[in-house]
Amino acid sequence: MQDQISRAEVVATSTPTSTLVHEDSTAKWFLVSSVTYFFIVGIVALVIAAKFVWPDLMGTVPALSYGRLRPLHVNGMLFGWLLAADMGLSYYLVPRLCGVKLWSEKLGLATAGLWNLIILGAVVSLLAGQNQGLEYAELPMPLDVAVVVAWIMFGINIFMTIAQRKYPAMYVSTWYIMGTIVWTAFVYLTGNFATLFTSGVNQANLNWMYVHNAVGLIFTPVGLALAYYFIPKASNSPLYSHKLSMVGFWSLAFVYVWTGAHHMIHGPISQWLQTISIAFSVMLLIPVWSAVYNFFATMRGQWQQLRDNVPLKFLMSGVVFYLLTCFQGPMHSLRSVNAIVSKTDWIPGHAHMAVLGAFSFFAVAGTYYALPRMFGKKLFSDALANWSYWLFMMGGLGFFVTLWLGGLWQGWQWNDWTIPFIDTVIALKPVWLVRFFSGVLMFAGIIAFAYNVLATALGTSSTEAAA
Amino acid sequence: MLHKADTSATWAVVGALGLFFIGGLLTTVVPPLVDTTWAKPFENSDPAKGPTGKLLPYTGLEKQGHAIYVREGCWYCHTQQTRTLLADTKRSGWRGVDSPVSTPDEFVFDAPHMFGTKRTGPDLSRVGGKYDEQWHRTHFRNPRDLVQGSIMPPYPWLVDNPQEFKAIVAYLQRLGRAKNWRPDGDFEK
Repeated sequence: MQDQISRAEVVATSTPTSTLVHEDSTAKWFLVSSVTYFFIVGIVALVIAAKFVWPDLMGTVPALSYGRLRPLHVNGMLFGWLLAADMGLSYYLVPRLCGVKLWSEKLGLATAGLWNLIILGAVVSLLAGQNQGLEYAELPMPLDVAVVVAWIMFGINIFMTIAQRKYPAMYVSTWYIMGTIVWTAFVYLTGNFATLFTSGVNQANLNWMYVHNAVGLIFTPVGLALAYYFIPKASNSPLYSHKLSMVGFWSLAFVYVWTGAHHMIHGPISQWLQTISIAFSVMLLIPVWSAVYNFFATMRGQWQQLRDNVPLKFLMSGVVFYLLTCFQGPMHSLRSVNAIVSKTDWIPGHAHMAVLGAFSFFAVAGTYYALPRMFGKKLFSDALANWSYWLFMMGGLGFFVTLWLGGLWQGWQWNDWTIPFIDTVIALKPVWLVRFFSGVLMFAGIIAFAYNVLATALGTSSTEAAA
Repeated sequence: MLHKADTSATWAVVGALGLFFIGGLLTTVVPPLVDTTWAKPFENSDPAKGPTGKLLPYTGLEKQGHAIYVREGCWYCHTQQTRTLLADTKRSGWRGVDSPVSTPDEFVFDAPHMFGTKRTGPDLSRVGGKYDEQWHRTHFRNPRDLVQGSIMPPYPWLVDNPQEFKAIVAYLQRLGRAKNWRPDGDFEK
């Protein structure tokens, strides 16, 4: 019976209600600005990758030093690009899943405006060295407050839309977006406010709870919401199992939050807390595998569509990266593996596969799928979209694989203390050079993607005014 | 509950937050109540129990140095934790003496904490007293003058500002010194 609900819903949502016209102006603003930040912050990413190879590059300008550009890269990609794109796509898909218009486009546009102010404020303050000193929570207090306000505005709009829905049964993407909104609220408050009243290990524990769940309870659920919506849509096949998606959702809600301390395995934090975090890290395989199985099973008999369906290429590659990165995560938490890979260059390889390989791929796919429908015109260039896929893919794989190999090598070297530390730095120089050129390929992918999006949005073959 | 959540947004939210709060509270609020060493500054006067010493609050100058360390993002490339790994105690060691492992009671006054996640450069949990002020001056101006092959960025603006330089050095010289781990106190100034 459950399966029938999801099948019925996919059908229901694929036949547009004749009377319902979605305005989508909020979604358009969010998507166009997020893609712009993707491009701008991509330049920052290239610069910091280059600094690993040429450490004196722009070395005497404080605002352009590595220590200031790195948080700009991380915050810019996470909040300027990915979260903004995820929010934009949520504004697109929630009204469609509910069969009603977005509750308030005015509130949505105000949210988009505020979000842009936050990102611009982040650029200025981070370059000026205004850094709170906690990972992912670098932004100064006024901007933290603005993020909370924007998030409440986003939450109200989405929940009011859901409250007015025409279909009583909610599709799994709707739950994941609701989960994202409420979890993020508490995770963000913990990481950005509760940490300020603590110090030392207690603060670190709250900090890692936030860092881990920024990925696990913000980008994962909203990313899965996109995958659950766009994989059936782009492949025109009903979701394999509604019941399995419930297993994934509830297990995610339960196990993710326990794992923060696995960022300090072997470190100065209570051993029993490390053990708890390891046990729950391994349990993460449950929500991950149930989601991934569902996606693969949905594609059964449909794989030939990957040949020329660009959104589907991004989506299914993203699913594979999701599977891999979420296999690595639990394995890293095991004490024996952790002793080798922790603190090495393996970790950025892992982190980029999650945020770029999985969740950005979902957001890019969603953008390619939704954009022509929002603007009511064809995508500017399908060939360019295909190029962007291969550039992201080649650049991404180059990046991930070289850092894994390099990191593993580095970890083994560190564990042999007869090797001086500086020799382990020098050994990695070729790795960082390959990483830089992989970054160039990824950046070319960003250019192809951003150009395609902006050309579609601003193009002249418009049937309605561009955003 | 799970079936109600299928058609009721309220149930979905209540369920999602309920499950979240079980783990959330048990792993953030409860641990510091259980393990009191997180909040008690290190103090030991009995050599039989390991290195002696006492963790003191930061002086004004050290605090300023910590703020500079935060501002310049030193913590993105340098960790401050000697983990319970033999290699870490060797690498944080100095002149043939192994470093003691880092314990929570050594970091009670750190806000923001500087444990770090990535070792692009070496760990700094026991760097205090290993290099003198002149070494740091040269090294900050251009790390490659002292360490061939280093990829640390140069920080001339720290050296050119006497007050900031004094502060960052005071901070670095303090790191890891609560435990008096050198056999004859052979710390550099």
